[in-house]
Amino acid sequence: MGLEERRDVETDVYQPAEDSALLAEAACERLDESDLVLEVGTGSGYVAGKIADETNARVIASDINPHAVRQARGDGVETARADLVAPFRDGEFDAVAFNPPYLPTDPENEWDDWMEHALSGGEDGRAVIDPFLETVGRVLAPEGVVYLLVSSLTGVDAVVERAGEAGFSAVAVADESFPFETLTVLELHQ
Amino acid sequence: MKESLLDILCCPLDKHDLELEDAEYDDDEVVGGDLVCTECGEAFPIEDGIPNLLPPDMREETPA
Repeated sequence: MGLEERRDVETDVYQPAEDSALLAEAACERLDESDLVLEVGTGSGYVAGKIADETNARVIASDINPHAVRQARGDGVETARADLVAPFRDGEFDAVAFNPPYLPTDPENEWDDWMEHALSGGEDGRAVIDPFLETVGRVLAPEGVVYLLVSSLTGVDAVVERAGEAGFSAVAVADESFPFETLTVLELHQ
Repeated sequence: MKESLLDILCCPLDKHDLELEDAEYDDDEVVGGDLVCTECGEAFPIEDGIPNLLPPDMREETPA
C-alpha cells in the first residue's frame, strides 16, 4: 500500500484496537471450521481475518464504508458492502460478530465523516446497536449465536435489556478493564 | 467476490434471491457485473470485486 493510500485508510477506516482484539479472541475460542460466520462493521477486516485464520471457518465481512471493505478485501477477507445484516439470507449464519460504533456522542459535536460513523453510537451510544439487535435474529441459524462487543460507556445493562426485548438471552464471555471503560463481549442466544 | 457468496446473499430490500448478470471474472473471482433481484429487479453493482448491497439511496461514497 502506497503512502497516500495508507493515509486515506488511516483517516477513513477504524483500525484494530483493544476492543477488536477482545472480540476476535472471544469468537476464536468458540468457533470452528464447520461454522459460517458474519462480521458486521468489519472496518479494517482484522476480526474477520483473525477468525478465518485461527478457526478455518468461512467468514464474510460487511461494512457500510467503501474504504473499509476495500481494505478488508485487500487483506484477503471475503467482503460485501452492506447496511448491517440487510442483504444476507434468513437462517444462514452460525455466528455473527459485531464491534459496533458505541461512543455516546453529543449531536452538536458530530463531525460527519467515515471515522465518526465507525465510532459514534449517537446520544445514547446505541444508535447502531439497537437496529442491529432488532434485525440480526433473522440471519442466524437455529443454534446461531451473536458475539457483541459492548463498552461500559454505552452501558452493558441497557444493551442486555434491549437484547432481551429482541428475544435474546445474554452471557458475558470476556471482559477487560481500561482506565476509562470496561469492555465486555456478550454472547447472545435466541 | 466468490460466486458461492450468492448462496448467502439476498436482495436487501425484499430478501428475494439475486442473479449474477454481466459477470467479469479474474480467475475464479467475480470482479464486475451486477447482482439483480429476481423479484423487484433492482441491480446491485459489483465494484472492484466487492458487491455493493446498499439500497440505492445509500450507495454514495460519502457518509450518510
